[in-house]
Amino acid sequence: MARFILQRLMAALVTIWIATIAVTILIHLVPGDPVRIMYGSFQTTPEELEAIRVRLGLDQPIWRQYLMYLGRLLHGDFGNSIVGDQPVIDILMTRFPSTLALTLSSLFIAVVVGMSLGFLAAYKRGTWVDVSAMVLAIVGVSMPHFWLGLLLLFLFALQLQWLPVAGGDWRSLILPALTLGLANAAVLARLTRSAMIDIFDQDFVRTAHAKGLPKSIVLYRHALRSGLVPVVSMLGLQFAYLMGGAIVVENVFAWNGVGRLAIEAVFARDYPLIQGFILFFAIIVALASVVIDVAYAFLDPRIRYS
Amino acid sequence: MTTTHQTGPILSVRDLTVSFGRGAGRNIAVQDLSYDLLPGETLAIVGESGSGKSVSSMALLGLLPPRSANVESGTAMFQDKDLLSLPDAQLRGLRGDRITMIFQEPMTSLTPVLRIGRQLTEALIEHKGMGQADANARAREMLALVGLDEVDRRMRQFPHELSGGMRQRVMIAMAMAADPAILIADEPTTALDVTVQAQILDLMRDLQSRFGTSIILITHDMGVVAEMADRVVVMNRGRKVEEGPVADIFSNPQDHYTRKLLDAVPRLGAYATAAAPRSVVDKPTPVGKSLVHTEGMNKTFHEGGWFWKKGGGTAAMQDVGFDLNAAETLAIVGESGSGKSTTGRAVLRLLELDSGTVIVDGMDVRGYGKAGLRQARRQMQMIFQDPFASLNPRISAGRLVAEPMVIHGLASGGELQDRVEELFRRVGLEADHIRRFPHEFSGGQRQRLSIARALSVNPKLIVADEPTSALDVSVQAQVLELMLELQQSLGLAYLFISHDMAVVEEMAHRVAVMRRGRIVEIGPRKAVLNDPQHAYTRALLAAVPVPDPDRTRGTLPVIDAGTLPMGALAEVAPDHLVAQ
Repeated sequence: MARFILQRLMAALVTIWIATIAVTILIHLVPGDPVRIMYGSFQTTPEELEAIRVRLGLDQPIWRQYLMYLGRLLHGDFGNSIVGDQPVIDILMTRFPSTLALTLSSLFIAVVVGMSLGFLAAYKRGTWVDVSAMVLAIVGVSMPHFWLGLLLLFLFALQLQWLPVAGGDWRSLILPALTLGLANAAVLARLTRSAMIDIFDQDFVRTAHAKGLPKSIVLYRHALRSGLVPVVSMLGLQFAYLMGGAIVVENVFAWNGVGRLAIEAVFARDYPLIQGFILFFAIIVALASVVIDVAYAFLDPRIRYS
Repeated sequence: MTTTHQTGPILSVRDLTVSFGRGAGRNIAVQDLSYDLLPGETLAIVGESGSGKSVSSMALLGLLPPRSANVESGTAMFQDKDLLSLPDAQLRGLRGDRITMIFQEPMTSLTPVLRIGRQLTEALIEHKGMGQADANARAREMLALVGLDEVDRRMRQFPHELSGGMRQRVMIAMAMAADPAILIADEPTTALDVTVQAQILDLMRDLQSRFGTSIILITHDMGVVAEMADRVVVMNRGRKVEEGPVADIFSNPQDHYTRKLLDAVPRLGAYATAAAPRSVVDKPTPVGKSLVHTEGMNKTFHEGGWFWKKGGGTAAMQDVGFDLNAAETLAIVGESGSGKSTTGRAVLRLLELDSGTVIVDGMDVRGYGKAGLRQARRQMQMIFQDPFASLNPRISAGRLVAEPMVIHGLASGGELQDRVEELFRRVGLEADHIRRFPHEFSGGQRQRLSIARALSVNPKLIVADEPTSALDVSVQAQVLELMLELQQSLGLAYLFISHDMAVVEEMAHRVAVMRRGRIVEIGPRKAVLNDPQHAYTRALLAAVPVPDPDRTRGTLPVIDAGTLPMGALAEVAPDHLVAQ
């Protein structure tokens, strides 16, 4: 098991490493002179621009720029933001807890709602329960985050006035978490349904029935645990979607997380901050997939022991 | 355990009718089936696919899919209760306790995410009210009884850590742990290798005499029936066509269908005196000069590592070599994992060898470039075990057969159509089958289609990988007959891969026996089958069930896997080579 975790961690490191290369190249993909793009809007003289270029190392060949960048990263230095000239890592870390709260509660909602709905639909395959659950799921999958968010805002915050439109406390977390969670619940529901339909037809489920076990034991101990394996393996990807969705949802609900920060950085053309954000995002997603993989291995002994 | 019906039947099924679907799509699977099961006896329910033999037994336990299957009428009296009208909860109480079941597929019949111990004990805890400790003790006792070693470790293992034979032993332990009155065994050995099958059958007999269980044995294999059954019910298309003591069924079958079924069963020894397969055409093409020559073939499958191959790996073929002449059949026999399929694929270069020589029709197959290989594939074609999986379901039968000719530019337009029609007739299909799609054919017809497709490019060599293993015996007999006829009139050479010794005896001129990637014995059919020199060949032949209740198979020879000679081949008689 330790070897397995080590392997997954290595894979995550490779992913992050590739992200660092992408981030370095990114700034050179934008047409024109990066320094001019970043600082050109300020009142800067050509001499000042040249000084910035030297300070950022942008006068060096790209491979050296990359090595310098990597060296700084290894010291935990993500560079400084243009706006405010603060360390990027500090800015990210102050805003990240809000995003973490949002994504984790959305994930919780997605798992609970999505898996139950999918399981129920599979169990009641072909009945009206199945059909309505899947219609709901299609609606959920098709509806863009911002639209669902606005609908929920309108209903619960404006019409019913049960929940605040925005703010910082836990009550204002409910609507964005629901928005993000329900959309992902729809994806999970479809996945769980097809996985469970597969499982219900398996020989070992028939064996469990033939043993005269109560239905609840057949369903939960034998079927659900096996059916969860493919679903959990998809959770890693789901988490990445969730993080992406957080950028939109945080803006709709004025939730002060890194997603909102990213949009601010884009509008301000704050390249170091954008770079930092992308890399940070990559690290979070890579680490999340390690966690998911380990959970996956824990569920499926065939992976655990190979 | 005493029953109130010491002399009467323990189970009485009357007029059982089961259908699938409703309305116009209603399909009768079992019709008016009646039989009695006596205490301590083994009743075999025999039939081909679609005969209703499994459905009738699943219906007894309420295991049919509730939405599609209906038990339309009938009773099944067990201990004064009618199983068919019993409330769900009460039936569940009997299921897995008084009546238990084992299934065909040991590989998939155990829950992959639960430990063996858990799966063995849960029914005991549920039905007998045992505590976990008592149930564990009983489970360990049963594991030892079914012949597994290291029972404490087995209890903690997961199914994927056990072989197919071991898993079936676990299934049997699970089914017998509750000391059931009735055991329903649905094709319990069909998915197993022949030597493992023999062990499992011995085990079932042993446990039956120990526990006094009545067994309903569902099977298509007349060899297994002859070996196990006291009485036999023969089913065809949902109806019982004949019932009687096993000796009578075999020696004096009354029904036409039973006779046909028994005639179709390949019997090892039926062609023991012949030096070549029987002639089915007037002037069979004589065996010609060398067509295939292979030597020193090696192939090791490596598990994919991260950046490099992992060390070790499984040696699928080690130093394999043989010759095959035109119009001749070399059969490669062996159990799963012996490397026989790998060998067939290597000859066609469907996989790349690590080393070795493959010469087909004077040309080095391993030396071909891409274009040359395509050209060479005209000479050699393949037929697979599962004709459905190997035919593209979205392409019509006619196009499937035409495709190889189009690819090789052999015919087009009207000529192509004529040729397709001719091929369909050649393999015993009708011209109006041409427009149909693979799913509209039966298993036997699909295999004929595969053969037509292989024949379309006029090959000299056909590699047939278990071509009849998925077919019912009566259909198997027809396909084998067709293959013989094609060989003798067209001069085809067959590399015939099979696990079935009786089929091999019917088809082969020469036989090669493979074990763990090596040929351990090779020679003319009479030499290898009648006078086997290698201990493994002898064990393989001894394990074949004999479809004759008067001739018992005798005890299995004990072979010690560690000491079997697996070295280089040496000649013991002309052309008869045995591993030393």
